[in-house]
Amino acid sequence: MDFGLSDDQTLFQSSLRGFLGEKVPTGRVRTIMESASGHDASLVQQLGEQGVTGILVPAEYGGTGLSLLDAAVAAEELGRAAVPYSFHAAAVLAPLLLAASSNEARKSEWLPRIAEGRATLGAIVAGPEVRDGRLSGSASFVPDAAVASAFVVRCGSGPSAQFHVVPRTASGLRVEALSTIDDTRRVGEVFFDGVAVDAGTNLEIADASAGFERALDAARIVLAADSLGAAERSLDEAVKYALTREQFGRVIGSFQAVKHMCAEVFAEIEPLRSLLWYAAFAWDERRDDAPMMAALLKSHACEAATEATTTCVQVYGGMGFTYECDMQLWFKRAGYNRQMLGSPAALRELAAARMS
Amino acid sequence: MDLSYGPEYEEFRREVRAFLDAHKSVAPPAAIGLEGSPQVRDWQKRLVDGGYASRTVPRQYGGFGAKPDLLQNIIIDEEFRRAGVSRGMANQGISMFVPTLLQYGNEDQKLRYIGPTIRGEMIWCQGYSEPGSGSDLASLKTSAVLDGDEFVINGQKIWTSTAREAQMMFALVRTEPDAPKHEGISYLLVDMKAPGLTIRPLVMMTGHAGFNEVFFDNVRVPRENLIGRRGQGWEVGKATLIHERNMLGAADQTENSYIRCVDVLRDFGVLDNAVYRDRLMKIAARTYAMKFHSMRMLTDRLKKRPPDAAALIMKLNGCQLNHDIAKLAIDAMAETGTLKRGSRHVRADGAWQNEYMFQLGLIIGGGTAQIQKNIISEIGLGMPREPKAARGASR
Repeated sequence: MDFGLSDDQTLFQSSLRGFLGEKVPTGRVRTIMESASGHDASLVQQLGEQGVTGILVPAEYGGTGLSLLDAAVAAEELGRAAVPYSFHAAAVLAPLLLAASSNEARKSEWLPRIAEGRATLGAIVAGPEVRDGRLSGSASFVPDAAVASAFVVRCGSGPSAQFHVVPRTASGLRVEALSTIDDTRRVGEVFFDGVAVDAGTNLEIADASAGFERALDAARIVLAADSLGAAERSLDEAVKYALTREQFGRVIGSFQAVKHMCAEVFAEIEPLRSLLWYAAFAWDERRDDAPMMAALLKSHACEAATEATTTCVQVYGGMGFTYECDMQLWFKRAGYNRQMLGSPAALRELAAARMS
Repeated sequence: MDLSYGPEYEEFRREVRAFLDAHKSVAPPAAIGLEGSPQVRDWQKRLVDGGYASRTVPRQYGGFGAKPDLLQNIIIDEEFRRAGVSRGMANQGISMFVPTLLQYGNEDQKLRYIGPTIRGEMIWCQGYSEPGSGSDLASLKTSAVLDGDEFVINGQKIWTSTAREAQMMFALVRTEPDAPKHEGISYLLVDMKAPGLTIRPLVMMTGHAGFNEVFFDNVRVPRENLIGRRGQGWEVGKATLIHERNMLGAADQTENSYIRCVDVLRDFGVLDNAVYRDRLMKIAARTYAMKFHSMRMLTDRLKKRPPDAAALIMKLNGCQLNHDIAKLAIDAMAETGTLKRGSRHVRADGAWQNEYMFQLGLIIGGGTAQIQKNIISEIGLGMPREPKAARGASR
């Protein structure tokens, strides 16, 4: 009986936290998010060197082939540091779908490059349709739309769904940026106007419907982990601030009103971490309750993180509302995570449907 | 992460099942009171002899003398719950006084009290809280003055469960009036039949008199009833208070309660109602989060790691969650959610209504939610205590 992270996972967590603290301080986060593309290829390569991008890429394709629980550990740290990188899409959804494929050519083409941090793949979860070997339609909220090397595109739905890998430069493919509240992870709208697909681009995923749901659950779990990271960093920063800011002749962190706000956030976050560990573990072990836990976790984490960051902004008073204050980074990050791949209410509905 | 228990523990599980099988005909069902009917007392003795209650109490004091083993305890809990069989008596004498005595008592005290207590022959009540000392327990005023070989006690205790059933009380009293408030307290044992001691039942909002007030008017207690040293009482009492707090809001009962709540929603035809389903899933997430959280705490204990700050939230979250589960069940019952025990049309004889009110009491008792938040912010988050200006006012 051992519920929790292994020594290796704890070590990975602290070394990644140390690395991000040193190399990706909020100053660098702001520089990247305020740039035109919102993307820094050198950062993705650095994350590759840390083993972040290839965490779910099988070892024979140059990744570390670790578990989703390891990925959740990484996602929590990326959320803590507000790293401008769409981990849930580029390092989870895209590589998981590729790994489930029997198209060796596409796997060998992309998986090693993902693992090294030399390519970013966007993941499209709904939208386009295939007709006569051509893709038509559009998809919104596509992560890294403007900078992705290629897209893993889900065409159609249900058991007949196909998954194609389409390079961003493909003829008939056009991208328009969407501007969201969270500039640390850019999304866009991708238009397909008769883009050619064939056996070479088809990933040939066996049991595509179940495989897709499973990959989607993995992405939801790491978004939940990212939200946890954002919430706990907010709390850390808010407590630090409350211990230095003085009003009425004493630090505001000595007032019960402020202490209770922080204690409530802490009491929400800690059981959430336990639920996260179990949901990731259940996914790894393919337990029967894994699909329900993924949906419950994502809804719960996003509620808790939006509440937590909202509370922590208020600990700062008026300063918390300014662009200058870093609290906005985690507040907006939690807001993005909340809506992507299913809002809390939608995922509670899904969890109820998945309840045995 | 590994949620299995290992082969030697599965062997132990088979032993527990064999015991339960062999005692099927005499085992009382899981829900029993503290009073101890002859059947419950008989069961308690069998549990102590078999090592399924007070398992680690040394043999010379009447226990089973097993080495402490958390996983074995969990397995016993799991198997007894699965069989729907009583885990034995769970009064404050067994859960709080015996561990305290093992740590601080002298040999005579241990020999005299532990055996009868764990066998359910001697019932205890806890004399800690006072009307003027709730959250600030260390400000308690009930005094005990040494007169020859006896302490003479004057004052009042409140929120005393089982005071009417108990033979004895373990109490915190002030013996050194001039010492700083935490250093002037002693831990004393009081005979509930002693002259000068009166008990007045205190009725809860549930309608039950689960608590009492206890008044001391020159109650005389022999000097040898002191546990630990004079003035050491705060330390002695605190050792078991932490234990009590962890019992309140334990996650295993919460999951059972959640599962029964789903049944209520189904039976009242609201499980497919979107609003109820949404509320239910919010509760489900919190229930499972607390379940896995308690497994995380258990792992810390198994690995002999000191409990981290996350352990501080069990009581705060658990009692609130239990209250919220009962509230959802009552809402699903519509008007019948108002009915009291004994009414026509009432479900489960008012157990949910009782639970809803009783859990509110637990949010307050054993340290209010607000005091828990102070502890979390101070110990867990390193935030400062309120300035000491209030010190003079409290004592």
